[in-house]
Amino acid sequence: MNKRWLLLWFGMAALLFTGSRWLPMPEPYVPVYPANFGNRLNIPADNPLTKEGVLLGRMLFYEPLLSANNKISCGSCHQQQRAFTDGKKFSTGIDSIPTERNSMSLANLLWVRHFFWDGRVESLEQQALTPLTALHEMGQPLDISASKLRRSQRYTALFNAAFGNSNITGDQIVHALAQFERTLISANAPYDRYLAGQYQLPPAGERGMQLFMTAPDPGKKIRGANCAHCHGSPKLYMELFHNNGLDSLPLDPGREKLTGLAADRGRFRIPTLRNIALTAPYMHDGRFSTLEEVLDHYSEHIIQSPSLSPVLRNTSNDMNGTSLKLSRSEQKDIIAFLQLLTDSTFINNPQFSNPFN
Amino acid sequence: MKYTLLLFWATILLHSSISAQSATISVTGEVAHPLQLSAADIAAMKKVTVQATDRDGKAHSYTGVPVADILQRAGVTMGAQLRGENMSKYLLIKSGDGYEVLFSLPELDAAFTDRVVILASQVDGQPLPEGKGPFRIVVPGEKKPARWIWEVTAMTIRFAKE
Ligand code: HEC
Ligand code: HEC
Repeated sequence: MNKRWLLLWFGMAALLFTGSRWLPMPEPYVPVYPANFGNRLNIPADNPLTKEGVLLGRMLFYEPLLSANNKISCGSCHQQQRAFTDGKKFSTGIDSIPTERNSMSLANLLWVRHFFWDGRVESLEQQALTPLTALHEMGQPLDISASKLRRSQRYTALFNAAFGNSNITGDQIVHALAQFERTLISANAPYDRYLAGQYQLPPAGERGMQLFMTAPDPGKKIRGANCAHCHGSPKLYMELFHNNGLDSLPLDPGREKLTGLAADRGRFRIPTLRNIALTAPYMHDGRFSTLEEVLDHYSEHIIQSPSLSPVLRNTSNDMNGTSLKLSRSEQKDIIAFLQLLTDSTFINNPQFSNPFN
Repeated sequence: MKYTLLLFWATILLHSSISAQSATISVTGEVAHPLQLSAADIAAMKKVTVQATDRDGKAHSYTGVPVADILQRAGVTMGAQLRGENMSKYLLIKSGDGYEVLFSLPELDAAFTDRVVILASQVDGQPLPEGKGPFRIVVPGEKKPARWIWEVTAMTIRFAKE
């Protein structure tokens, strides 16, 4: 009897203490990924992952109200079936003026520290501001987006659950978007299963992997493509900036625009090769429409320039060659390997799909 | 008229100086004096020459400034001060391409080792080749040159966490 009273008192005191903000705390969301991806995660201290935040972020990712014409969402240029790209050379947003660069695949962003092709921003929170407000993408100031969401009944409870209040601010919008994007983990391609010892590579894929991982050394009669030097590791990217020999005088200066350094001319972030068979066209300007064209580039057409990556200089299967000089069948084998990087669970994961469909 | 011309040239000069920025090396973190070293600053420091074998399998002679001297100048706890909790400090070196490599302080300190790790500016008497300069770390005796990080832009000293 006594005990029950005590409990009641305790409960009432707790209620009074938390006052009108009596709400269940959001539940932590624990991302699941293989150990070989490492734990160098990029999660800002003020935006921990919560189930409620991720759910809200997913809705916002597909919410066209965040655009000036109510027609464009993040999902327009980042479509799940294409590993969150859009199949276009350049994307179009609220008007017909194309973006300056090719849409990027969104996978395993939890580990990325420098976003965009040129690495110009350092968090997903900051990154989201660009598409939301850019004139030719979604073209809407954050406070207008926030007030549109406030007017739509749908979001009050969701913001409340995620952030403990339903003020609905621009800050909360980008926080929730970033949380959702951090859950876009792709780790179940045949290659991942191979690394986990659960899959046997077909012969062409096996030969392709060998070439992918090996640096050529014609003096020692070692044939290779050396792709892994830049696109290696279980995540299939390294966060480095290189000029991969596309142009001698690039139209798009890449990282040089940020730093003013000549060494950065035509340098771009090494993109992930995960799901690469789904994300054509390729490169920052979508210049190649097939993987065959990409392999032809590395094999035959590396353009020399002062900022060309040292990794691609004099790297060839021919003595004194300036491009890789891979045979047709070697190129095919490498493409067979690249196809084993497609993660079909990722592109079909219902937790990443458009909740409005 | 004269003034507009002057203004014109001044703008051109200003622009070219922006687009032709030259690389510097920052030394920051657990240092007494943060440094921003220009090529001229580094040229004025004492140089040594070491023999080392690059990826090409051939021995070359590399000339540059001992990394320990740079750390000394920044007031990093080296020599007699390299003891106690300072033993858990590390040096992280960063390249313009984003690559990063790590050294523990005793690996660089003459009180601990005879190996002299240098910030090289020359190979076999010539400036470093395009793409690998102007400054590159050279670690004599290391079998695999993965820590010979090129295009060095930053050195940071930190305490290891935990
Ligand atoms: C009009 C098409 C378009 C829309 C709409 C769009 N994006 Fe993008 N996204 C792009 C393009 C193009 C790039 C590459 C731009 C660059 O590098 O300058 C990009 C890059 C990104 C990146 C960088 C990925 C990386 O690895 O660095 C992220 C993250 C991203 N978008 C998220 C979003 C989010 C979140 C939204 C919605 C708020 C959104 N995008 C809306 C076209 C779009
Ligand atoms: C020196 C580092 C380096 C090496 C080695 C390298 N790449 Fe790349 N790769 C890059 C960079 C940087 C980009 C982005 C360039 C751009 O868009 O301007 C890129 C882009 C790509 C793309 C397009 C990705 C996309 O999302 O559009 C593919 C595919 C690709 N590389 C495949 C390969 C293959 C296959 C090899 C080996 C034959 C290889 N790479 C070797 C640095 C490298």
